[in-house]
Amino acid sequence: MSTLLEWQRDFARALLGGAPAAAGAGLDITRDPAVRLAIYRNNCLSNLVRALTLNFPAVRHLVGSEFFAAAAQEFISQYPPASACLDDYGQALALFLTHFPPADSLSYLPDVARLEWAVSRALHAPRAAGLEVSRLAALEPQAMAEVRFVPQPAISLLRLDTPADAIWRAVLDQDDAAMAGLDLTDGPVHVLIERSQDGVEVRRLTRAAWRLMQRLCAGEPLHEVLASRGELAGDQINAWLADHLAHARFIDIVSLTGERST
Amino acid sequence: MTSTAYQTSPIPAAAGIGLRFVHHEVVTATRLAVPWFEVHAENYFGHGKLRHILESVRRDYPLSLHGVGLSLGSADGLDRQHLERLSALARAIEPGLISEHLSWSVTGGQYLADLLPLPMTEEALDLVCRHVQQVQDALQRPILIENPSTYLQLAHSTLPEWVFLSELAARTGCGILCDVNNIFVSASNHGWDPRQYLAGLPRAAIGEFHLAGHAERTLADGSLVRIDDHGSRVAPAVWALYEQALERFGPRPTLIEWDSAIPEFDVLLDEAALAARRLHASERASHVHAA
Repeated sequence: MSTLLEWQRDFARALLGGAPAAAGAGLDITRDPAVRLAIYRNNCLSNLVRALTLNFPAVRHLVGSEFFAAAAQEFISQYPPASACLDDYGQALALFLTHFPPADSLSYLPDVARLEWAVSRALHAPRAAGLEVSRLAALEPQAMAEVRFVPQPAISLLRLDTPADAIWRAVLDQDDAAMAGLDLTDGPVHVLIERSQDGVEVRRLTRAAWRLMQRLCAGEPLHEVLASRGELAGDQINAWLADHLAHARFIDIVSLTGERST
Repeated sequence: MTSTAYQTSPIPAAAGIGLRFVHHEVVTATRLAVPWFEVHAENYFGHGKLRHILESVRRDYPLSLHGVGLSLGSADGLDRQHLERLSALARAIEPGLISEHLSWSVTGGQYLADLLPLPMTEEALDLVCRHVQQVQDALQRPILIENPSTYLQLAHSTLPEWVFLSELAARTGCGILCDVNNIFVSASNHGWDPRQYLAGLPRAAIGEFHLAGHAERTLADGSLVRIDDHGSRVAPAVWALYEQALERFGPRPTLIEWDSAIPEFDVLLDEAALAARRLHASERASHVHAA
């Protein structure tokens, strides 16, 4: 008999493989191996489909539970989870849906999946105390210009080709009127996803404000971001920065001390 | 050591309930008379709202952490990151008990999302002993290991499951989480005698009982397989086996689990009351014996 390691590899292949008649051959199962392996296969798949349903409720609602279960099973075979922490499972679903022919007519579906993944990340990420504005006020003008911001771990910034944020909201609110009023060509949209006290917020930003925030979150120093702020006027910049600080979107500042970011 | 936000609260020998997401609201909104709760550890590895809910439940109740994903039987070795996350959660929550399963679910970097059966061999016993030691070293405390429900047997197994568990407890100092429904399910599926199973477990190692419902499925050849789906009330035959377990081991913390088609919380309270009645009878009986 093989060692435990080889036996477990064989068991996994039999569990996930698609040849029911031969499944279980060589595993040393005492009776009806195919039928008994199928019990474990069903448990495994239904646990994973349930986890994906929890992480992607709007995608499931948009396509219906039968379509979702079929797509999820195909996804599971291509992108099996690596760990038992299933909150972390499903990052590749948006990419998978882009190349999943049965979903071809639903151009917005991968965008909804990307948004739901960011929402799920925001739900489970730690939320730290916001940056004290007094720390910024204490900086010399030169130091202020060179400072870099550390964003909340829960924040994501997405550019979506379709109005997936409006679709997501209409689905979860079960708002049929909003759904019917959607213009699917109303894209691209730029959104910020974050955790608030009550849950997760998805906010639409202007393209310019989104781009600046993305650069700040990527660690670009403030002066470089402001030097190429595009169409935003100076007073808009102040309001924009004040809004981010008021919403505690940054948790720390790092001074450059001579090092430059690219 | 860091200071603790909680009073030390061991899990009492009373009937607790497995807390699931659908009941978070009713449990946090109304401080129900439940002696303790148990949760699946992996559901609270994140740092968001769910963790806050768990912390608020922990402030009001003794709590047990029940792992479902450590994969103690993986020949690849333990996932260190998973163990670190469990340790961090345990430090934050200070649970009265921590438990895991005699099973495996990870191989070659893939998580197979079920509690899979291990061959009952000396090789597997050595491996699980090493892993239990590793976990107990990381957590700085003994853990409980639960007997699984199984749907197949392996011809190369050489040890009865109860001998495997007893040896594991003797070698590592871990306790045993005696899942009475799982004993009933596996015994029925494999033609074992559940009384012999109970008789084969060491009394001093039993740290907790689990109770749940199971389903019956008839295979194409007409044979019956019992499936541990935690989707119904505890079966009468499982209550009877629980009474025998109480008789043999004495009162221990007992948990009602329900994971599929989860009913209103009142139904779980009902089931817990049925377990509590038997626990009280067992306590009275042990006082009579002691007198």
